Amino acid sequence: MNIELEELTRRFGRNEAVAGVNLRAGPGVFGLLGPNGAGKTTLLRMMATVVSPSSGRMRLFGRDPVGYAQRKEIRRRLGYLPQNLCYYPAFTVLEFIEYFALLKEMPSSRVPAAVAAAVERVDLGGKARAKLRTLSGGMLRRVGIAQAIVNDPGLLLLDEPTAGLDPEQRVQFRALLRDLGQRASVVVSTHLVEDVGAACTEVALMNQGKIIFRGTPDELTARGIRNGTGDAPLERGYTAVLAEARA
Amino acid sequence: MSERWDGAPPDVDLDRVWTGVAAEVWRREPGPLERAAGRLLRSPGLARALLTTPSLLAPWLIASVVVFAAGGIATLSTHEPLVWLIAPGAAAAGIAYAYGPGIDPAWELLCSMAVSDRMVLLVRAAAVFMLNALLGLAASAASGTVAAVTFGWLLPMTAVCALALAVATVARSANTGAAAGMAVWLITVLSAQAASRRFTAAVTSAALILPYLVIAACCAAIVIYATRIPRGTS
Repeated sequence: MNIELEELTRRFGRNEAVAGVNLRAGPGVFGLLGPNGAGKTTLLRMMATVVSPSSGRMRLFGRDPVGYAQRKEIRRRLGYLPQNLCYYPAFTVLEFIEYFALLKEMPSSRVPAAVAAAVERVDLGGKARAKLRTLSGGMLRRVGIAQAIVNDPGLLLLDEPTAGLDPEQRVQFRALLRDLGQRASVVVSTHLVEDVGAACTEVALMNQGKIIFRGTPDELTARGIRNGTGDAPLERGYTAVLAEARA
Repeated sequence: MSERWDGAPPDVDLDRVWTGVAAEVWRREPGPLERAAGRLLRSPGLARALLTTPSLLAPWLIASVVVFAAGGIATLSTHEPLVWLIAPGAAAAGIAYAYGPGIDPAWELLCSMAVSDRMVLLVRAAAVFMLNALLGLAASAASGTVAAVTFGWLLPMTAVCALALAVATVARSANTGAAAGMAVWLITVLSAQAASRRFTAAVTSAALILPYLVIAACCAAIVIYATRIPRGTS
């Protein structure tokens, strides 16, 4: 298991952003759905070892991130795309991705090939030497994805990765996710249920810091057959589960 | 790129070949400064993080040189050692702007990296401190005030820098850290002047050595505490 969470909780003052989440996941693409403020981003930030849990137990790759050496080892094998990633405007695409490859402590000799592969996988070869300040929002998002996958991570955490991507890029990105999910645990937090349906092998729905549903996209769809609202089958499942939880 | 060239042998992965060629074409050779920093710090990632320090980039460096040069010229014309009074304030601002949210665009991402953010912070802060110390020494030398007392400003500079760094780290705001460092230094200079009627009392008074040391030590402890990963999660 790459991810093992037991009763994981994170409080900010009196607000319990994540309230006793239990989760175990191996390789595959795992979708995290939920309304704004459900705790998806906080859960991802804890798994990215950026925020420490208030209580509970977390092990990634069988390691506890509390210890310095184990945390370092986890981070070497981690890919993370934050929701609001800002960029160094004077960096080129290559410089930005290389910077994070080095900070992930990849061996220097492997960095150029890894950077080139990551740039090609997000289809930015034509913009490799372009300054980040000259790129569109969608291209910047792809640069963010490239830095996340540059170290061929065993655990990839993506927070709203398709924000700003056009439909064609989103289709390509879903194919990339499916490919990455063959070997790695990919956790994708998103508002776009169609991304989940197309790319995820499993899905969890969060509300008020708790996981209120876990299953396959088909199982979520089935929950919406009777009383869900929405234009797409998966959307109807999503709204039905949320309505049940709120009731 | 993904289309197969008819002349290629069937067992050749052209994507792989292309990536290999691209890696060679796009390879970036680190400059001499980055190579030296990499050897010194034994980490190419840390060296790269050091060279991206906002308060070590060209605009900030130029501003620092201008400030110290102005201090040196003022010292020459007034015969008052103004460089000593400028150095702590300038260094405090530089250190507050070395690292943190709002200063590093990708700060959250940096916090998830194998090269620890605490190391990045300490290396950047040390580099900014040394640069400002060198500029202070150069300005002192140029203005002819290199005497035994010249090094008097190093201790207050250490205390004010530690204070600015601690406030910036705890408040997660470089602006707050820089403002706190410079405000406290200004208050110290004016208070010491009022108490002793000497303009440079803040850097020459022996009575202030202990408070400076205590502030520096306490603020360093606060920085170390504030950048720890809390225990009790497993």
